[in-house]
Amino acid sequence: MSRQRKATPSARIGMLTYHALMLAISAVFLLPFYWMTISAFKTNAEIFSNPVTWLPDPIRWENMTSLLTREDFPFVQQFVNSVFYAGTVAVLVCLSCSLAAYSFGCLRWRGRNLVFGLTVCALLMPTIVTFLPIYLAWSKIGLTGTYWPLITPFLFGDAFFIFMLRQFFMGVPRELLDAARLDGASEFRIWWQIVMPQLRTPLIIVGLFATVYTWNEFFLPLIYLQDREAFPLSVGLFTFQSQRAVEWSVSMMGAFLTALPMVALFLLTQRLFQRGLSSTGLK
Amino acid sequence: MPITSAPPEAAVLPRRNRKAQRGEARAGVLFALPWIIGMTLFVAIPLVVTFYIAQTKFQIIGAPKWVGMQNYEALWSDPAFWKSAQNTLIFAAISVPVKLIIALGLALLLNRATALSGFYRTVFYLPFLMPAVAGSVVFMLLLTPNAGPVNIALEAMGLNPPDWLLDPKAALWTLILLSLWPLGVETLVFLGGLQNIPKDVSEAADLDSPKRWHKLVWITLPLITPMVLFNLVIGIIYSFQVFTQAIVIGGTTGTPAEATLMYMVVLYRAAFRYFNMGLAAAMATVLFVVVLILTLLIFKTARSWVHYEGGET
Amino acid sequence: MSNTTFAVPRQISRRGFLASSAALGTAMVLPSGAFAQAEGQLLLWLPGGSELFCKIHTGLLEGFSAGASLGAATTVCGLGQDTEFTQSLIGAITAGNPPDISMLWDSPVSLGAQGAFMPLDDMMKGSKIPLETWPAGLLSSCQFKGVTYGLPITAGVYSMWYNEEMFEAKGIPSDRGSFPKTWDEMRKMSKEFTVWDGDKLVSAGFMPNRVPETMAIWSALNGGMMFDETNLKYQIDSEQNIEMMTFFLEWLDEEYKGDFNLVDRSGNFLDGYPNSTTGMGPAFREGRQAGMQSGSWLLGDIFADPVPSFERWNLAANPVGASGSSSVSGTWPNWFVIPVGSKNPQAAFDYLSYLAIEGSVQWYQQIPDVPTNSQVQRKAPAGLVEKRGQAVADDITAFLGEQAAVVTPMWNSPVQSFYTDQIARAVEKIYTKASPVKDALGEAQAATQAELERVLAG
Repeated sequence: MSRQRKATPSARIGMLTYHALMLAISAVFLLPFYWMTISAFKTNAEIFSNPVTWLPDPIRWENMTSLLTREDFPFVQQFVNSVFYAGTVAVLVCLSCSLAAYSFGCLRWRGRNLVFGLTVCALLMPTIVTFLPIYLAWSKIGLTGTYWPLITPFLFGDAFFIFMLRQFFMGVPRELLDAARLDGASEFRIWWQIVMPQLRTPLIIVGLFATVYTWNEFFLPLIYLQDREAFPLSVGLFTFQSQRAVEWSVSMMGAFLTALPMVALFLLTQRLFQRGLSSTGLK
Repeated sequence: MPITSAPPEAAVLPRRNRKAQRGEARAGVLFALPWIIGMTLFVAIPLVVTFYIAQTKFQIIGAPKWVGMQNYEALWSDPAFWKSAQNTLIFAAISVPVKLIIALGLALLLNRATALSGFYRTVFYLPFLMPAVAGSVVFMLLLTPNAGPVNIALEAMGLNPPDWLLDPKAALWTLILLSLWPLGVETLVFLGGLQNIPKDVSEAADLDSPKRWHKLVWITLPLITPMVLFNLVIGIIYSFQVFTQAIVIGGTTGTPAEATLMYMVVLYRAAFRYFNMGLAAAMATVLFVVVLILTLLIFKTARSWVHYEGGET
Repeated sequence: MSNTTFAVPRQISRRGFLASSAALGTAMVLPSGAFAQAEGQLLLWLPGGSELFCKIHTGLLEGFSAGASLGAATTVCGLGQDTEFTQSLIGAITAGNPPDISMLWDSPVSLGAQGAFMPLDDMMKGSKIPLETWPAGLLSSCQFKGVTYGLPITAGVYSMWYNEEMFEAKGIPSDRGSFPKTWDEMRKMSKEFTVWDGDKLVSAGFMPNRVPETMAIWSALNGGMMFDETNLKYQIDSEQNIEMMTFFLEWLDEEYKGDFNLVDRSGNFLDGYPNSTTGMGPAFREGRQAGMQSGSWLLGDIFADPVPSFERWNLAANPVGASGSSSVSGTWPNWFVIPVGSKNPQAAFDYLSYLAIEGSVQWYQQIPDVPTNSQVQRKAPAGLVEKRGQAVADDITAFLGEQAAVVTPMWNSPVQSFYTDQIARAVEKIYTKASPVKDALGEAQAATQAELERVLAG
């Protein structure tokens, strides 16, 4: 790399311009985050103060305690629900999608390309197109109001994550699999004991992605769940906001605490995340 | 096409006996079976049922009643359908390309190693992690006329800012603006593509001299067209389904003056506010057909502009 | 990508992986079982969900259940208040696990006519709350083709609210009797208060109506109606309604620069609450608006929210339009229904009887939604007495009682939501000059009538 090259004055100016530009763009991107964060620690009146206050003074920590204790926004319960929902989906996705991905990426069978082509079609299909009948079916068997409709589909797999995982499974060397087969290992053992451990990192990436998507999923839990105590945070935040719109500081504290776990998760696993992205089904 | 570039199906593998091949084929089907069942249960059957419901009068409660093409005829003469289709098309037509261009620009800017690169990447990625409800609510606060920080700042600069989400003429554009914020995924997909380009080529992506521009347009861009295709297709499909932001900001009537009335909102409203499942299913069918045609068109034209080997235009 | 070797940051053993999936699998059963409802206990759903509101209703239901020796009652609130709530309720009804009772903030007629709610007529016969104990105009909001699908246990009653202090400062008599009796008088008086500073509205008098839900009241005040229930015909573009909207539009042009956007940029002149999107305070309570139409729920909130308010407001009857003959009022009721599939319909109905008489009195004490059953002895809410004194509180309670007796039929259509959305659309088009009054109303009329006929067709 050319980083250690001795910097000429013009190169240094170029670098400064570059960073100035990047920092300015970063500021634009961070503004909503920043505004959310400081609003979470202000009173309503302070949020709308003119001139704008860029630092909450004093920092109103009581917003946090009041959010965590108020009855009309069971934040803690909804947080637990979100963890449960996102966690379950992530685990199911890793298991079920890797089965299909192994089949598409490592095994050869007649009809494979057809089934994979259909998977791509399913991936491109708007959710809503298939939504109404599924909704009606769940309500006919009396399971609306529970997490079953939200979670069961992932027992079978998900087109997007199968698509993503297949790229990684295709990278597993054929010789490795053949060697194992010669040793008499069953395909299931090869999948579970050889391929899965090898692909631990991609699986973690997929799990992280599934976690973020599910954490932020809004439409399906909005429709299927019927109890404030059962909502995940994404829906809880919406119903709270639509009913108590004037309590901006509480809404903002809710938004802040909803986004925080995902941001933390991202910061902890940044490197993996970015690898997952740069390989999203391309190449 | 990247989509079908797996190892060949029944490839010629010289010294493998038929039994092993059969075993592998059986395993292949078995491993894919859960997903095949899943696709049948949650995609194929519902799709057919949607087509059926679209031809019935069905008020959620009670039984569906066959009405033939009535729902499609009702859609044809429904101003809300056309208005929402128009809004959604404008939204997609502006939001998707602009987002791709910005994401590409950011990826080009990010594609150099500096001490702060990790920080920048993180910053651009963060909006994606924000729940859409939270994001929309924050923007509503930021863009509040008079009292929001954005307008206070713009007014201090002597400008006359719009009312953003409250102005019927500006609301849709504001919604588009908001949709540009979470572009971390697109940026990083482009960045991944750029980083796979051989070093001697990628150094050309510096933005200083005219010569480098030339290289950017003629060498770098063609090399990342697969990522453009991917982002384009996914972007269009998702922007056709924009829902959360629209319902948080505009409710079920797309206030102000139907400016934020999106296709999905009208569909949701038909199903769960007017209890008109038949009409909702008809809308879903129309969306399906439009997305299908668009995707086919994109893939068809993709042959002429997407490059897999690299090289000239 | 194919020859990437994967750096593994931390070992996750397969056993750990399996163990955690098993744990999550078990956890999955928990939320789904959380709604199992035991026999002989009542489950109540509430829209909205402010803390006070939930607390009152939980208390009422628990008190009743204890008295009726039913098991522990459950109250569910916070499901949203608009489409979210309705949609959850339908989901539960079609799934066969509905609540025993639900409150609704939208007319029960639409869903009732689809067969989602139990008809109450038989149970009402010989009960403590027979048909004749309900004001007819109000009960019609629950009835379709002679069948009663719900009860309007309490209602927010719409009337004019005005600022006595502002009136007196202009030397205008501030007693209720002197309040404008007609739209023309109101419009004339309004000018006295309206002050513009450039494009900023400093203070205002009254304003043309733009709340879609209350347009039916204004239509009735002008001698018209929006929906002719007997003949199943909408009359959105009737002469009276065209006259009404034309009057409003001219008023807007004359006094408010023809632009509600300018008005909204200057403050919240729409209702008595801080605006939900702009955070701007209610102009009426800030003493910048002489009067407005509002529901009686503001009686409680005007003291509750941390918005500074002036001291002396009063209520008056809605003024009458040029083609109207007498003042009428309107309501936004709190409806209660018993969904089809309720496991304890009789106990649920007993609760409704309790709520209609004893319960609504307690309710009114804490949140001033007016009890509607004619047998109820209304007592002034304690909070109002405390702030304004016994005499004023009694006077206002009596006034609201009178108003509740002259309610115009509204909320009585099987396509109520569709109609409301169409009116909202037409009103917005008219005020933004996107379409002439006649065309906008005509379009709403055609669409709503077509939807009505579609729904009614077998």
